[in-house]
Order: sequence, then C-alpha cells, then structure tokens
Amino acid sequence: MDPVTVGSPGSGSDPHVQAEMGRRRFVRLLLGFSLVSTVSMIITPIVGFLIPKKVEGASGGGKVLAAKVADLPAGSGKVVAMGSKPVVVVNGEGGVKAFSAVCTHLGCIVEFDATLKHIVCPCHDGHFSPASGAVVSGPPPKALATVNAVVEGDSIFLVAG
Amino acid sequence: MKRSRTRVAFLDRAFRIGVLSACAAALALVVAQTVLAESPSPSAGASGAASGSPAASGKASSGPTLSGSPSASALATATPKPGATAPAKIDGNTCYSCHTQIGGAQHTIADQWQASIHGQNGIGCADCHGGDPTSDKITVSMDPTKGFKGVPSRQQTVGVCGTCHSDVERMRQYQIPTDQYAKYKTSVHGQKLLLSNDTKVAICTDCHGVHDVKKASDPTSKVYPLNVPALCSSCHSDQKYMDGYNIPTDQLEIYKTSVHGQALLVNKDMRAPNCASCHGSHDAQPPTSTTVVEVCGKCHTATQALYDQSRHAELVNGPKCWTCHGTHDVVKPSEARFFHPTPPQIDCGTCHNLADKTLKLNADRFQNDEDRRCDTCHHVDSLLYSQAQGIKSALDKASSAYDLALTRIAAAAEAGMIVADADVTVTQSKTSLIQARAAVHTTKLTEVAAKADAAVAKAKEAQDFADARLAESQNRRQAMIIVVALIAVTILALVLLRRGLDHTYQAG
Amino acid sequence: MATQTTAAPNGVVQWFEERVRATALFNALLHVPIPVEAKTYYLGGITLFLFMVQVATGTLLSLYYKPTPEAAYDSVKYITSIVEFGWLIRSIHHWAANGMIIFLLLHVIRIFVQGVYKYPRELIWVFGALLFAVTIGFGFTGYLLPWDQKAFWATTVGTEIAAAVPFIGESLLQLLRGGPDVTDATLSRFFGMHVLVLPISLALLLAAHLTVVHQLGIANPKRPEPRPGQLPTPGLVQRWKPFFPHYVLDEVIAWAILLALLVVLASVSPAGLEDKADALVTPPHVKPEWYFLAVYQLLKVVPAIGPLTARDVGILIPMLAMVVLVTLPFLDKNPEVAKRKRPVALIIAAIVLIGMGILTWYGGQIPAVAVAAS
Repeated sequence: MDPVTVGSPGSGSDPHVQAEMGRRRFVRLLLGFSLVSTVSMIITPIVGFLIPKKVEGASGGGKVLAAKVADLPAGSGKVVAMGSKPVVVVNGEGGVKAFSAVCTHLGCIVEFDATLKHIVCPCHDGHFSPASGAVVSGPPPKALATVNAVVEGDSIFLVAG
Repeated sequence: MKRSRTRVAFLDRAFRIGVLSACAAALALVVAQTVLAESPSPSAGASGAASGSPAASGKASSGPTLSGSPSASALATATPKPGATAPAKIDGNTCYSCHTQIGGAQHTIADQWQASIHGQNGIGCADCHGGDPTSDKITVSMDPTKGFKGVPSRQQTVGVCGTCHSDVERMRQYQIPTDQYAKYKTSVHGQKLLLSNDTKVAICTDCHGVHDVKKASDPTSKVYPLNVPALCSSCHSDQKYMDGYNIPTDQLEIYKTSVHGQALLVNKDMRAPNCASCHGSHDAQPPTSTTVVEVCGKCHTATQALYDQSRHAELVNGPKCWTCHGTHDVVKPSEARFFHPTPPQIDCGTCHNLADKTLKLNADRFQNDEDRRCDTCHHVDSLLYSQAQGIKSALDKASSAYDLALTRIAAAAEAGMIVADADVTVTQSKTSLIQARAAVHTTKLTEVAAKADAAVAKAKEAQDFADARLAESQNRRQAMIIVVALIAVTILALVLLRRGLDHTYQAG
Repeated sequence: MATQTTAAPNGVVQWFEERVRATALFNALLHVPIPVEAKTYYLGGITLFLFMVQVATGTLLSLYYKPTPEAAYDSVKYITSIVEFGWLIRSIHHWAANGMIIFLLLHVIRIFVQGVYKYPRELIWVFGALLFAVTIGFGFTGYLLPWDQKAFWATTVGTEIAAAVPFIGESLLQLLRGGPDVTDATLSRFFGMHVLVLPISLALLLAAHLTVVHQLGIANPKRPEPRPGQLPTPGLVQRWKPFFPHYVLDEVIAWAILLALLVVLASVSPAGLEDKADALVTPPHVKPEWYFLAVYQLLKVVPAIGPLTARDVGILIPMLAMVVLVTLPFLDKNPEVAKRKRPVALIIAAIVLIGMGILTWYGGQIPAVAVAAS
C-alpha cells in the first residue's frame, strides 16, 4: 500500500493525493462492509439450518405416529395423514392394519364403518376388507395398498416403505 | 508330479464311471418306459370299456327321453365324468368314426364336437341326435326306432338343450345354473319362437354355437362378456333381418360411444355392462320404466340408494334413471345436465291437469340428449326450478373452489415449491365434491349443499396452503434481491480494490 | 514485483509467524508469476469454488439426510419444507452441482483450445480428466439420493447404460446397483460413494492437479514451452504478471458473481421433489440427467457395425472417448499451441462437441418412455 504514496511525486498537500486518500478510505470502508455482509449472509442460513425444529412427530424419518393404542380400540378405525398421503388405520380381527385411504375407484378418501366392519368409500359405496384391503363390493377395481403399521408400546406407528 | 498324475488317473476313472452310469440310467429309463407304455394300454382299454358301456346304455335309454322329460334312468346310469371318459366316448362312438371318414363338413362337425365343452365332458352325438352309437351299421345306429331324430328343428333344439340343462342333478357337477330354459320361455326370443313359431329369433345355438359349444367363461366364446355386443348386433344391427320387428338397429353404434361401451370395448373393463347386463341373456327383454331403477342399481348401488330418497322416486310416473341419462347413449354426467342454454317454453298442460292442477306425469324417456334436463319439466317460474338452480349453484361453487385450489397448487408447484402436503386436503375436497354430485340424485338441496360446503371448506384450506407457499416464494425472491445487491456491493468493493492494485502495479 | 514479499511486521501476525513460520510457505504458494498472455477465464477456479460450496452445503445436508428408502424421501422433504433455509442449502447444492459440471466442461475446452495440455503439462491434464470422471460420478450418485420418482427412474435408465458394456455389462450393472434392480442396496451404495469415496478421491486428485500446476506455473498459450536443450525463441522476452493479489482478486470477483448466480437460481427455481420413488409406476418421461443424455441418446441412434451390435457401438464410442480424453496429451504429438497450426485437432474437437450438443438436445426432446426394454 505504501509504495504509491512514497513513489508519487509531490507531498501530502497535493489535491490529487488527497482525492486518492479519500478514495482509498472509501474502498476500505466498502470492503469492511462487504466482509461483514458476506460473512453474515453465509453464517445466517447455516445457523438457521442447524437449529432444530420443534415439530411433532418424526423429522422426516419415514415413521409416523398414527395413534395411541388406547384411542383405537378393537373394532374401530380412523384416517390419519402420513406425510402427504391419507392412511386408514384399523384395529380389526387381524390386529392393527393400515391401508392407503385413497379409494382405487375415483380417488375419494375412504372411511372405516364400525357397524359393517368394512372400510367404505363414501362416494360410490365401494367396500374393502379391513383385514387385507381387498375389494369386498362395489366399483373399486383393485385392493387398497397396504401400509406397514407397527405397534410399539402404547403407540401405533406407520412405516413408509 | 506323481501326485498330479494320480489326480489325472482319478479324474479319468471318475469320468468313465460317470459315462457308464449315465448309459445305465438311460437304458433303465427306456426299459421302464416300454414296460409302462405296455401296461397302461390294456388298462385304459379296460377302463374305457367299463365306463363306456354304462354311458352307451345311458344313451340308448336317453334317446327316447329327448322328446319327453329328462329320464331318471339317464341320470342313474349316464352321469358322465368330466374329462376322464372323453377318449372312451370316441372309442365306442361309431358316429364319430364314420363321420370323420366321410370327410368334408361332416369331419369338421365331428372335430368341432370333439373340441367342444360337450365333447370334452363326454356328451356324445346321440345325446342330442338320438340313435345308437354302439352299432357300426348305419341302419341300426341311425334307425329312427332307436330314437334317431337327425337335425332337430329350431323349436326342438331349445328342448334338446333344455333337457339336460334344466336338470339340476345332471348340471350340479358342472356348477352351472339350470334356469336357462325357464328364462328363455319368458324372453322376447322365446315367446316369439314358442308362441308365434317365429324361427328368426335367437335360439341356444345361435349364441352358444352348435357343435362347437364353449364355456361362457372362455374368452373366445361368443357369449364372453367382451364379445356379447358383437354377438347381439349380429342380428340386431342387421336392418334387413330386423325388418318387421319395428325396433331400431343402431343400438350398438350408440352403445359404442357411451361410457359403458367405451369402458367395455375400449378399456376391456369387464365390470362394464354389455347388452345382457341390462336386457338379460336367456330372459332377454328390454327393461321397463318399472324395472329400470333396479337394472341400473344392480351396479350403481350407492346412486340407487340416493335416488330412492328422492321426490322423483316417490312419484308414480316420475323420472327414472334413463329420463336424465338415456339408455344406450349414457354419457359422463356433468353440471351441464341441469339446464338448457335457454329454458324451453313448457306448456302447463304437459305435466298438469289444467282443471285441478294435479300432476299428470308422462315423462319417461327423451330421444334427444338435449331434452334430458331439469328445465324440460320444471318451468323457469316454478319453485322447483329455483331449487334445481340452488343445487346447481352449490355444485358450481364447490367445483370452482376445487378447481381454483388445483390451479393455485399448480402455480405454487410451478414456482418450485413443494406442495405434496396439500394432497390430503385436496383429496378430502374431491371426496366431498363427488359426494355432492352424487347427492343430486336425492333432489334435496340440503343434502347437496352440505357436501358442497364441505368440499368448498377443504378446497379453501388447500388453496390457503398453496397461497402460503406462493407468498413464501415471493419472500424468497425479495430476499434474493437484497442478497444480490449486497453481493454487488462486494463485487464493487473488490473491483475498486483491484483497480487500486493496478495503479500500484503500474506505479511500482 | 515477482519477488515481492508479504511483510509480517508485528502484532497478531507476528505472534503467529513466530510460532508457525508460515510466511515462507505462503510466499512460495502465492507469489508465483503468470505470463501476461495467459487467459484462464477463471474457469478452473470457479469449478474449485463450486466444489467448496458443495462440500459446505453437502456437509450441512448430511446432518438431516437419512439414506434409507423408508426415510430418504421424507428427510429430503423435511429439509426442503421444514428446516430453516433448508430449501436454500439444498437448492444451492443442486445448482452448484450442475454449475460444477458446466464450468468443468468449459475449463476442459479452454485448456484444449489453448493447447496448454502439451509438454510439460501432460500430467495436469491426466489428473484433470480423472477429476472430470469423479465429478460426473458425484452428479450420478447424488441424483438418486432424494429417492423421488425422477431420481429413481433416472438412475434406473442411467445404470442401464452400464449394462451395454460388452461381456461385463451385466456384472457392471449389478455392481453399480448392488443387485439386479435399483433398491435400498443401490441407495446405500450411492450414498457411500457420494459422501466418502468420491470426496476423498476428488480431494486427492485435486491436490495432485494443483500441486503440479503450482510447480509448473500457468502456461503461456501463445508459445510452446521450450524443451530442455532447445533455445528459447530469440528476441522474445517473457513478461509476467503477479498471481497474488491481482489474479486472486479477479478470481474472488468471479466467485462473488457465481455466488449471486447461485442465490438467484435457488430462489427462482428451487430444487423440487416429485412423488416418492415407486418401482411399480414408471412415469411417462423417464430420462437420465442432462449430462448423460448424449451417451444415452447415442446408444439409441448408432447403427450396428460389422460384428458389433448397435448396443456395443453405442457404449464403445463413449468408453473410447473417455480413454482418448485421459490420454490425449500422449496421443496428440503436435507440439504447436497456436490455433491455426493445429486445425485437425480443433476440427475434431468441434465436431465432437457439436455432436454431443445435438445428441443432448435430441435426448432431451424425445420422451424416453421405454426403459431400455430393448
């Protein structure tokens, strides 16, 4: 930095030198500002990224808490969201089972009918077996896809796969 | 070295043993086969004779019974065992051996029979044609006194088939119904044949084949569901053939364009109805206004349940399924089905007795699809018209809310946002929308509105989600501008610094 | 000026200098002369910058990512839609990956056109070509990790390319996939490659590449390097410019522009996520990542030649091309660097590049529905 001042002709009173000094101060100020802004621009997202989120359930772990066993007595069932997909969880004769809740006919969301002990689609009266997801009656062309459900302690989890 | 030599010797020995034992095994196999091939031959003959003779005697007695009722003796003696007795039939069947030797059409018939479901199950020539298949003398085997009756007439044919096929005991082993003959007698075909002696109508063999009868579940059979429209139309689309019956001949053409026809013929969806699904097969008859709801409701169970709650269902001559949806030309329903573009001017006398203003309904079916609308019967000024309007607008609101949600979600996805989490609410909205549309069959505004409102609420929820994503995308872009501006300042500072360096460099 | 030294007079710098004695090392590393004719366009440096961005963002992503088929998709979705700035980190990782391949390609083209891979810089080129292969490997393995439909099917058809290799194709395919199909085994394999094997390989190759570059200095694209015993052209004086701080500063400016570009791309077109991978549902438009399209398309359009099937030809051409790429300095014996003195090499390169461009464009146009069913 020094050679310029040393090498330049004239002394400190020269207006060119003064302008040069002012320019240099400005550049230094700008550089300082840039350094601070760049560092904060890089640090902010990283820190934000590292701070854990307080979200109920798993952190995208492929395992979703569907219900407490106590909330799903034998002979009942309910529809829960597993990520972005609705899933019907039933506690029937074959134990706790879970199926995709999207009807294979026109894509309505099915329900569990506790009286009939069937999974029923409200749109066109499609009936599915709560034991296997197979079509019992009505227009659905194929069975509901099975979703893995596991009981751990007092909780029922759905496992993606 | 020595070791390797012994190994070679060992391998050599092993190889020889292997070859020898392979030869021995092959020899044994040949011997065994010869022995086995010799032993079953007589036994097959024996069993053929054993099972053949009662069958033959059964036929001898079943011959005369053809004209009468199915005989008990036939049942007792000639219960054919599926498959097992088939070869025996040919062995002891002089009809087959002679007719194949004649060649030509006779040979073809014999071959067709052999390949048919009858041939495979040991139902022989004499079971339909009578005569004595055990004798190789034509004078005996085709002796009318032995029950030989040659080619049965069309009227007789129905009886010939019905003799066995209405016999519960006989048919039990095949697990097929026995009501075809009884049903046929009630069909338009049967009535015309048996009462008016009209031999142009369809009889058993026209649909099922004569000698080449196949199982109905055989996909190559003419009565297989996918093939039924072509089968029926082979007569019903023939203008010349149908001349004199005074019924249209364009049903198949119309059916092909309908949702049912498309599903069955294009998508090969076996659940879709063919002709027989609505008209019946053996009992073929057009559905009537009193039966049509049950006919459609056979598949459309949920819709029928809803319709049964409606005011329409309560009326004596009220509108039925086909009043709004048509018959062969059923198309995918939509909200356009509610009203004419411009409401028709209806004469009051069309539906009311002008004297006492009571209902005088004669709405049954409309030839033109454009007439199958609410305002064909409900006058624009009527209370019921406004109710229909209410139902339509509830549906319109729900479907436009649903569509809007989809558009917003698509826009958010377009902006690169992840919108999968809106799937559940969108599907819920769709579920309610479909239910609302189905609820139109109840003709109750409250039913429709309840479902439609639920659809709107869920659509709104999904739309809010998408809007939040869009807003988030906007925020990101604004933040991006600030960040880019800051980087621009940095670049400016660095460029200035660089220029200073150039000065220094040149100066130095 | 070439011998200029950075003064370390007092204070903190002095304190460290006494304890580390790094001044001499830094001087040796930074104060290297560059021929004034040298034009690098900062392409190699930008690629290096993008690699550093990948290391930083990749490390962050690995803190949330779960490499199992059950959890991979959900964890990526979680990163993208729940974690603060997760979308930014992931999108920058996504765009920097593409950028790395683009700038690497440009860097290779620059080196080739300037002819600076010739004596004595053959090894720099060889390390560079290997770096290219490793970078492609990064892209290929990283693409599967989100475990969505696009990732799954692009990997399915991408690995399918390997099956075309004569004799060992099927085994190679199995080796890549960890089995006959793309499964959880493939995901584990690709993850391990992506975060361990390839970064270590790249770091080692990069160290070798840069060490030799430092040792030999940046080449002068106007004149071939004089061989030992060969007299330099008379009357020509090589003029130099400093690497530090001038060149370094220019490089940093280029990096800042790239950073701005990455932020813009990440904000305007963030990394997406399709439906979760489903081996039973083939989406309508299956194709591999863009930098594989040329090879993928080549496999479809080449004819059979003699005893070789079309498939053999289609895979042998890129394999041969890779061998040629790595060994180029030893194949190209022409000592000249001036463009008009090496027309054949440049025309061949132009044809290859245009051909690849056309194939890539063509491959991008036609939806490749049939998943290599042939």
